[in-house]
Amino acid sequence: MRLIVFLVPRFVIALVTMSGVALLVFVALRLLPGGYADVILGPYATPEAKALISAKYGLDEPVALQFAKWLGALLRGDFGLSMVTKQPVIDELLRRAPVTIELAVLTLALALIVGGTLGVASAIAGASGRRGALGRLVGALSASVPEFVLGSVLIFVFSRWQLGLQVGGFTPFMQDPVANLRAMALPVASLSVFGIALILRTTRDAVLRVLTEGHILAAVARGETPWRIVRHHVLRNASIPVVTVTATYFGHLLGGAVIAEILFSVPGVGYYIYSSLEGRDYAVVQAGVLLAAFAFVSLNMLADVAYALIDPRIGATKVRT
Amino acid sequence: MTPSLLSRSRIAAAVFAIAAACSFTGAQAQKALNWGVVADVDGMDVHVVSTISSWQIYQMVYETLLTTDKDMALRPGLAESWRQTSPTTYQLNLRRDARFSNGRPLVAADVVGTLERITGVEMNPAGVAAAKTDEEKKKASNRIASYWSRQFGVIKALSATDDHTVRIELAKPHTAFLPALAHISASIIPVKELKDGSFDPTKRLLGSGPFMVAAHKPKEGWTLVRNPHYWRKGHPKVDTLNVLVIPDEAARVAALRDGRLDYSAFTNPDIGRLVAGDPRIAVTTQSTTNYWRMDLNALSDKSVFKDKRLRQAMNLAIDRDAIANIVFAGAAKPDRPVPAAFGKDACKDVDAYKLPRAARLEKAKALLAAAGKPTVDVELIAISTDPIYARIAQVVQQNVRQAGINLRIQQMPVAEYLNKVFTKGEFDAALSWLAGYSDPSMVIAWWNPKFAVWNAVYHEYSQPLADALERVKAAADGPERDGLLAEVCRMIDDGANILALVSKVDYIAHRTDTVDIRLDPVTGSSNAYQYVAEYASKR
Repeated sequence: MRLIVFLVPRFVIALVTMSGVALLVFVALRLLPGGYADVILGPYATPEAKALISAKYGLDEPVALQFAKWLGALLRGDFGLSMVTKQPVIDELLRRAPVTIELAVLTLALALIVGGTLGVASAIAGASGRRGALGRLVGALSASVPEFVLGSVLIFVFSRWQLGLQVGGFTPFMQDPVANLRAMALPVASLSVFGIALILRTTRDAVLRVLTEGHILAAVARGETPWRIVRHHVLRNASIPVVTVTATYFGHLLGGAVIAEILFSVPGVGYYIYSSLEGRDYAVVQAGVLLAAFAFVSLNMLADVAYALIDPRIGATKVRT
Repeated sequence: MTPSLLSRSRIAAAVFAIAAACSFTGAQAQKALNWGVVADVDGMDVHVVSTISSWQIYQMVYETLLTTDKDMALRPGLAESWRQTSPTTYQLNLRRDARFSNGRPLVAADVVGTLERITGVEMNPAGVAAAKTDEEKKKASNRIASYWSRQFGVIKALSATDDHTVRIELAKPHTAFLPALAHISASIIPVKELKDGSFDPTKRLLGSGPFMVAAHKPKEGWTLVRNPHYWRKGHPKVDTLNVLVIPDEAARVAALRDGRLDYSAFTNPDIGRLVAGDPRIAVTTQSTTNYWRMDLNALSDKSVFKDKRLRQAMNLAIDRDAIANIVFAGAAKPDRPVPAAFGKDACKDVDAYKLPRAARLEKAKALLAAAGKPTVDVELIAISTDPIYARIAQVVQQNVRQAGINLRIQQMPVAEYLNKVFTKGEFDAALSWLAGYSDPSMVIAWWNPKFAVWNAVYHEYSQPLADALERVKAAADGPERDGLLAEVCRMIDDGANILALVSKVDYIAHRTDTVDIRLDPVTGSSNAYQYVAEYASKR
């Protein structure tokens, strides 16, 4: 019951956020210079041709009316048709979702394994020592190398020397697991760099903070082994900020790892939304951004639930306040 | 090994063996090619969309009445012969064995209906008449406004003499009429199906070409399969053509290297160097009648180029040789409004091409001084999607500075560029390229903004030039027309509103060990893969 009371205001906030996103993306798209008629007709368009296209797609109607129609359809579960293919947008987004989810999960897994491990190791090692230095070095490098730079370098190196991994493209996991992993390795590597830095720093800071608390001193005084102290007293207490950044980072990845998807031709949601934005295929961008926002908001809510489960005091405190 | 593990590994081995066997027999039965493209189509309507990435995919599925060869001479397409019966009348005789991929024979009514559609005739008049509200009329209407209709001239009468003969009468002589039929934007579509509602050309592709669509994954690729009704017996030579959309150039190179692609086109002249170490990849340089160009805004009060002298100075100050050598490593050549690929010398005697660089710079400086602006600041728009634009802009920036013109390069996405340049006319200068098509009169027609319309917001109208262009359109190819072209070139050079820069060259890389391909050294209607039906897989 306490959990439900804890979550209700969050549902309300999520609904308001989603409504805001819907309005914002719709208006922002209409404010962008250049419309679908410009793109489809190219440079040879006449005003008459543009007017015909605009009328055909209802783009000549007042923006408020267009928004009302879109919202009405949305509430009926209709995300609209792509202006390019005239096919339901939701079908295409759902077809691509598994690719983005796989990319996000693999990236997050790599970031958690490498970042989490190095974060804990460097915090325990303290400011001095090789593990601490290694952690700081990896953190600094990862945070300062943009993914498009690393991605471009990986493409060059692996296409120049063919080192066994596939550069670009995608093979579904169920079709050929090995080919799938060979194709996903490079995008995951380039995409996870930022996540590694984020999780490494967050984990290190959180562990360092917990290590200074009294119950750790008490555990040491009780003669518990370092591994037991880390496992039973440190990790659980240090996990809340890590859960926060993990949820945010995962939401960011699910929203579409655009650069990695473009660089490596991964047919995910992010690339589809980006290229549709370039082509001013409004329905795709609107639906895609809305679904990405939904994923982001949902993950944040899940993180909130996780807080309450990890530390029951949180839910109780929130309810009291 | 435990019994359960042993049994699992046996099952896995059996599954693997079956899968391998299936894949082996499949490979034997089916021949497939993999073609890498930069972008997907921008829409499905072959008569409306005017982007080259879309044209290239349409060309696999649709066919035109005529085609052109490497010399820009007309060749049979769906029309196996044609005859000009008077200066304004044409008779086209259609192939009797041509069929759409749904199996229905292609007949003269399809040609008549297609040309009517392109020229803006309502294809669903009954539906529109039956509609009660404006909203319903809008939905029922099938009318389009194709940019290509103007290239036909003015069609006065159009009729099907019989199932395989079409008679077309123009309002006045128009030399480029037949070449206009050779462009993919004049593809023949199944009109019967369009009219009965079983085919919507804005939703799918259905043509009489070598391939038909089996699957389309937007922005990802197409699976095209052999059209069993294709009129050319024994063609296409492969069963499947997989089209993979790979925007990143380096990723396409990698895909060629590891065998996921059999062929792909590049605009980057470095492609030859990038694949130099791989003996399995050959790069063919294909010239086109297309050329890179710069638009100068002659109409906006905010543009310095409203002053003709500054436009002329810009035209003179550009070093076309430098662009050709630095950006394209010498593969491109300085080009002129009448593309050099046609073999015409029409524009070679104007100052921008005839004078040596030093003399052109002096003249440019004199023009700037006469305009009271010895130095001038200008913004040049370069589209951000293809790095070539920025490279050309950088070279131009360096060489016009010597005359006193300071360029600030502004990169922007395509949609924004199209809106700023062609809809609003809010710019000083912009880089782009022009399709040269297969007759010189087609491309220079764009210098008349009342004909072109698309450049009306920035191109100055000149009655003498418009009249001269009309004379070119009406004149048959020969010395008289060459003289008219030279006259037009002088006027175009004087107006300096659209500046031809250098020829546009495509680099087509293919795997010599997996595919046999045929490419012309020159292509007219942006149809690099016009012999795709002959491509054979070596796998």
